[in-house]
Amino acid sequence: MKDYVIALESGLSKYQPLSTLICYDDFDNGLRGWVDLHPNYVGKDFNTLRYSHVDKTQWGPIMLSSASFRFVGTHGSMEGTYSMKLSTRPVANSYTEAPAAGSLSHGIKRLTTHLPKGMRQFEMWYAYTPEQDRQGLSEQAMRAFGVFFDIQDDDHRYFIGARYLNAVDGEMVRKWQVFQAKDVTDLDWAYGVENDWCKHGIDAMWYGKRYPDGTTDGFEWVPDGYQDLCYNESDDKINWSYLRLLIDTKKREYVELQSGSTVFDLRGMKPTLTAPYARIKGLFNPSVWVENDTDRRVFFYVDSVVISGE
Amino acid sequence: MRHFHASVVERRITVKDGFAAHPMEAGWASEAIFFLIVEEVQGTDTMLDAVVEISADGITWIPDGTAFAKITAPGNYFVKVSHFGNWLRVSGIVSGAEASLKLSVQLHLKE
Repeated sequence: MKDYVIALESGLSKYQPLSTLICYDDFDNGLRGWVDLHPNYVGKDFNTLRYSHVDKTQWGPIMLSSASFRFVGTHGSMEGTYSMKLSTRPVANSYTEAPAAGSLSHGIKRLTTHLPKGMRQFEMWYAYTPEQDRQGLSEQAMRAFGVFFDIQDDDHRYFIGARYLNAVDGEMVRKWQVFQAKDVTDLDWAYGVENDWCKHGIDAMWYGKRYPDGTTDGFEWVPDGYQDLCYNESDDKINWSYLRLLIDTKKREYVELQSGSTVFDLRGMKPTLTAPYARIKGLFNPSVWVENDTDRRVFFYVDSVVISGE
Repeated sequence: MRHFHASVVERRITVKDGFAAHPMEAGWASEAIFFLIVEEVQGTDTMLDAVVEISADGITWIPDGTAFAKITAPGNYFVKVSHFGNWLRVSGIVSGAEASLKLSVQLHLKE
């Protein structure tokens, strides 16, 4: 089919997709299948079946946003008016505790794979800012954001992705990490809860112990992964930035992370492999999330996303 | 094809004195329906007064004039909103003795 493409949308020119476009989601056209993440309501009276130490029912909702603020008015998106906004609730625990209910917002697109194993890529243009509900400059109110794929092949389920650890308890960190779990038990992983739905390596966005220096049992630091991102000089000025994560599903390995013009070589780094879960063979879910660091909402805007493969 | 989006703005929260639901951006839509899905009502003479609010900035809120009928029992309730800017939310005040409600808020937007 690629031989018969007459024209591509001009918005794609800011991307570097692999040979097969799996999706190009410009949020001027709606939320394009991106949804809030919530737990499985399969118990009595449509309640969740199992207890979890992390309350996953309250993550803040995603929405179509015009990025409007009290002094600047409407920012719009990078190309158009609307972006997908992830919005946390105004609550947070200290870094070394499990994330508070509602302290994250998480968007997910539920796909299955249709390509032979090989390279896969997540690209997006994004911006972020805390809610401008108080005076000052509030870059440190955002704890982290990240992107990943939740994948299940014939043999394993694994989370493969990257997060930018922006701040820990109000102190700037500004370093990239990748999903890679320490050698801990399922019990340790789930904050001591027996028989938790999430096994070692799954849902590192909120599982795995966290330590005061920003280390966690769920992530590994990217070598030389310090990076100053553009935050601008006021909480109502947002700048669109580029992110690209390249992975290899044949080797089950990281390849590259590009943030702005900086490319981090991740070859040789591997995600943590977990035994397959029931009924999700072929799972290929791109996701994005943001976590706040204090008692205020944080907003993460995605102009567009391109998922591609070979 | 018309655009539509249903958002579960609040999911099974327990409210006691009152609540203000999460601020939602709705500028792309021309029609909105807020649903209140009340699953439990506890206490004596418990009553919820809920209204729709609009905002210039998503931070400071003004009543839009649309109000739910007083809610005293579990059930599904709605109001329609048709002329608004970018921001919408629902807020409510609970009265009664030892009063609390378990509820969800949904916002359905259409253009």
